[in-house]
Amino acid sequence: MTQPIALLDGPWWPYLALLLFAVLPTEIWRWLAVAFARRLDERSPWLEWVRLVATALLAGVVAKLVLAAPGALAGVPLAVRLAALATAVTVVLIDRRKVMLAVILGEIVLIGGAWLPG
Amino acid sequence: MTEAASNQWLRPWGRGFRDALMLPAWVVGLSLMGVGTLARDVGYPVEAAVLSTVLVWAGPSQVLFFASIAGGAAWSAIALAIGFASLRFLPMTVALLPLLRRPGQSVAQQMLLAHFVAVTAWVEALRRLPQIPPEQRVGYFLGFANALIAVSALTTYAGFHLAGVVPAPVAAGLLCLTPIFFLCSMTAGIRGLGDKVAIGLGLVLAPMAGWAIGGGFDLIVSGLVGGSLAFLVQRRRKAPETRG
Repeated sequence: MTQPIALLDGPWWPYLALLLFAVLPTEIWRWLAVAFARRLDERSPWLEWVRLVATALLAGVVAKLVLAAPGALAGVPLAVRLAALATAVTVVLIDRRKVMLAVILGEIVLIGGAWLPG
Repeated sequence: MTEAASNQWLRPWGRGFRDALMLPAWVVGLSLMGVGTLARDVGYPVEAAVLSTVLVWAGPSQVLFFASIAGGAAWSAIALAIGFASLRFLPMTVALLPLLRRPGQSVAQQMLLAHFVAVTAWVEALRRLPQIPPEQRVGYFLGFANALIAVSALTTYAGFHLAGVVPAPVAAGLLCLTPIFFLCSMTAGIRGLGDKVAIGLGLVLAPMAGWAIGGGFDLIVSGLVGGSLAFLVQRRRKAPETRG
């Protein structure tokens, strides 16, 4: 467990930590984007590139969350985690309007697989 | 409130709010439930968990924050990891803001709009906004994003209190909602070969980069490489069509 910074510790520490180490490093990119976006045309190929980089980054976040899983998810066998993802994606590939169904079926595979004795 | 103002703001806001409640808000809400669970694990108050949803408004950042505290990471490393994981918001927001641009829009207004950029709001806005008249887009987007955040704040609260009640496989299921949903919404938003290549390369390169480069920079590098290759593939395929 990461301990509070002694100098700043107190009842407000969780909120201060949240602001400094989660809100700020996240929000800064949205603010910087405001500075950049003014000079851009929505049809520019540069934006297409930027969108694809963001898509690849996001796919990377998914891979990392599933492979280097946090908390209770780490206790579920990797094969079960991958099967859950594969199930969900297959549903969306068959019918891309069925996102909710895909998520639910993926969850059934995950929770079901986690429940079965190893 | 004049008729024109109502047509430009209230009605689009209501329509956006309602459209979000049709499905996306509940899916995002479910994906952020695990954040409440994680916050409780590290002994943070439920208010901090709910505030993280409202103020950070980024599932991966919130998960990284609470999971890293649980793992005992240094504060500087936590901020750095979240900074890199959130770098995607720069290109995402840059891509979205032109769709929401209005004459006379102030920097403060744009910063407010930018705050709502997160996976779902972004994917859905890119898909829906082009079909909406430009003067109604800001209202629609705000309504849509407000519904997402309102529902997610409630589910984060619920996740915190459910944590002690549900068995481990269900808790794992709550945590896995985020990646499953991200991947599904990206797959549903595929518009061309470039998107497919970007998703595929992102999935494969990130773990490889994590292994080769290590924490912090791996996501950025894999995103830049995967996205750029996807861009080249898409350009190459489009070129003959646009010329012919």
